[in-house]
Amino acid sequence: MVNLKIKRQDGERIWYETFQMEETQGMSVMEALFYVQERLDGSICFRYSCRGAVCGSCSMLINKVPRLACRTQVSDARSEMTVDAVQWGPLARPAVRFARDEILIEPLPNLKVLRDLIVDMEHFYELLDHIKPWVSSGKEVPEGGNLMSPELEQKIEVYTNCILCAVCHGSCPAAARDETYLGPAALAKAWRFYLDPREHEQEKQARLEAVDNESGVWGCDVVFKCTAVCPKKVTPTQGIISQRKQIPIQKIRKAISRGKKHEN
Amino acid sequence: MIAHDIIVIGGGLAGLRAALEASARGADVAVISKVHPIRSHSVAAQGGINAALASDDTWEAHALDTVKGSDYLADQDAVEILCRDAPERVLEMEQWGTLFSRTPNGRIAQRPFGGAGFARTCYAGDRTGHNLLHTLYEQVLRAGIKVYREWLVTKLVVDNGKCTGLIALHTPDSKLEAFKAKATILATGGYGRIYQRSTNAIINRGFGISLAYHAGVPLQDMEFVQFHPTTLWGTNILITEGARGEGGYLYNNVHERFMSRYAAGAMELAPRDIVARAIQTEIDEGRGFPGGYVHLDITHLGEKRIQERLGGIRQICIDFAGLDPVRDNIPIQPGQHYSMGGVSSDKNGMTPLEGLYAVGECACVSVHGANRLGGNSLLDTIVFGKRAGEHAADHISGKETPSDETYRGALKDEARSISDLMGEEGENFAAVRDELRSVMQQDVGVFRDRSGLERAVEIISQLIEKGRSVQVKSNARSFNYELLNAIELKGMLELGQVIAMGALVREESRGAHYRTDFLERDDEHWLKHTLAYQTPDGPRLEYKDVTITNFMPKRREY
Repeated sequence: MVNLKIKRQDGERIWYETFQMEETQGMSVMEALFYVQERLDGSICFRYSCRGAVCGSCSMLINKVPRLACRTQVSDARSEMTVDAVQWGPLARPAVRFARDEILIEPLPNLKVLRDLIVDMEHFYELLDHIKPWVSSGKEVPEGGNLMSPELEQKIEVYTNCILCAVCHGSCPAAARDETYLGPAALAKAWRFYLDPREHEQEKQARLEAVDNESGVWGCDVVFKCTAVCPKKVTPTQGIISQRKQIPIQKIRKAISRGKKHEN
Repeated sequence: MIAHDIIVIGGGLAGLRAALEASARGADVAVISKVHPIRSHSVAAQGGINAALASDDTWEAHALDTVKGSDYLADQDAVEILCRDAPERVLEMEQWGTLFSRTPNGRIAQRPFGGAGFARTCYAGDRTGHNLLHTLYEQVLRAGIKVYREWLVTKLVVDNGKCTGLIALHTPDSKLEAFKAKATILATGGYGRIYQRSTNAIINRGFGISLAYHAGVPLQDMEFVQFHPTTLWGTNILITEGARGEGGYLYNNVHERFMSRYAAGAMELAPRDIVARAIQTEIDEGRGFPGGYVHLDITHLGEKRIQERLGGIRQICIDFAGLDPVRDNIPIQPGQHYSMGGVSSDKNGMTPLEGLYAVGECACVSVHGANRLGGNSLLDTIVFGKRAGEHAADHISGKETPSDETYRGALKDEARSISDLMGEEGENFAAVRDELRSVMQQDVGVFRDRSGLERAVEIISQLIEKGRSVQVKSNARSFNYELLNAIELKGMLELGQVIAMGALVREESRGAHYRTDFLERDDEHWLKHTLAYQTPDGPRLEYKDVTITNFMPKRREY
């Protein structure tokens, strides 16, 4: 038997409820939640779609760690050590406890809870919209398509693997304290589009300028929490650092080209 | 009441491509979906998308492979469009930002796929669907297209023989709303979840298909259900055909590459119906492993190649089966994967109901006939999504929607049927659903025969009865998933009935429809499409001719 201790919320009312069930072989936390929803309490709600860790719907806080419910095995979660990830920092003492056949399930942090395990993703999507997440290529397709080296393709791929699950957002201390902070997912995306050779040079410059502030790449604490929790091995912190390095380079380039223009 | 020129139901590849095209042509278009678009099942597509890009490949060769793969049931004029438009559509996706894998000289890489005479499957590692869907979603954002997220469409509004919009339930607060539209495009995907073992997302319940069925539109060729040969044992998560395309082998429990006995030429790269039957036969005849699976071995490809080209399935194996395909064999079994059938629609996605289009997996154009080739479904979504968006946008001028009164009536009807569902007593939706999934798996699967199909038809009609007494105990206003499930269950049961009946009546074996009591294809009697119409007594079946242009039916050998 395993216990699911679920944080529930409906309007102002917040409570914890524990559900007990038989653990079946290979059972994921998502399957355990379905067991609750379909057999024990139909009112419990959580988002889901693919159950294969590609759609990014089922992000939640499991034993205080933000992650996908479909990808988390009950057999692992029921006995793991839990650390209060939110309080973890250089000075804070982590609250460590050992689960005893109990899995603690709470909504993803840093986003408003709508009900039970469902958070308002609107804020997350809006942050993403801020960086204009699209390649702004023209209509004319070059004969035979654009060329791209496999090396560059693999460099960008690290970032295109993002499934926008917001697990990183739920782990991010900067996002926790600053609503205007674009967050790891959007900033990693910004770097993905900067790297893309199909993007116009002018657009690339505008991209860097748009994140050159405290809500952008300078808001990051560089503690790599997002990188640690990403289910798709995206490295947002690395993307943020790369942009921090690129920003002064671009400024110098711009100054030089302005100087040249001036000479002319 | 909300009004748009065009409303696209579903935010997967077909839906977003249609919306993008309609928007580019100046129409006021919106997308409505029960999930955020990037949660759609298109995102899970792995292996790739076919296009004759190479200078020594031709669209005609692609068309022949597709028609032969379809066991000659595909309409050849539609296949011609699919294959001829493929390079342009794929290059357009590339231009919009899709991160395709590359050859050393920087071109889009292509891999061999089952049933194809040429390595023409373009791919983005083994995350092709993810990359295509995110690209289209990005372009939809760029175009500023309105997306209604987390709305379940519960009914199509039909007025004077025309589809004029829809009624939808807003999941966050369970409010019903009417949407007026001059044209409605269904792009709601497949119904995999009516089977016990399916690669499909949990949300793939086929409800969009049943919306059209209820609006009087015939469902076509529903008995043709694709079982993917290689799904991960246990969870049935897809293990891409790309694994075999890259050189993977299939072994039974005596380490025999058994495909030599089923398709000596193509071996592991025979079309899916043939490989799925081969695997099922091995399992059924005792040459599988305990629990019912065989091995897919890619260890010889080496870690570097596996990581580069099959990194996604490697991770899936690690996460969901606790094994690493760099070292270990992958336990696989066939599972429901794709619906060749769907809402009957034509080359422009138009259905027989004026104002209603259907594209992607929910539709049957038909380009896949009795068996779809790997790499052709993603292609189908963007080719026919684009065409439907174009046609709808070009034909809305002068069209009117009826008065608000019509929609108010429809709203009231929907509100009543939802309140009828609420109650403390009654059947649990999950119990009825599980029985359906079990009978579909058992009797309407890879191998079929009369007695099994008769049993399935009988059990499903009992389940439809039982389904009428399903009640929803949760009265939560916000995100009431029990209610959403109960609404969709009705559609699942009806689709199961259409599939089982179509399969029972079709006394031949063609593509994925394999009757152990009628082993041969029977062109004389059955070279025709099935059309199922809804009646109060269950489906009424009619038939129509297959369009044949260049390729005369031949015996299919690989």
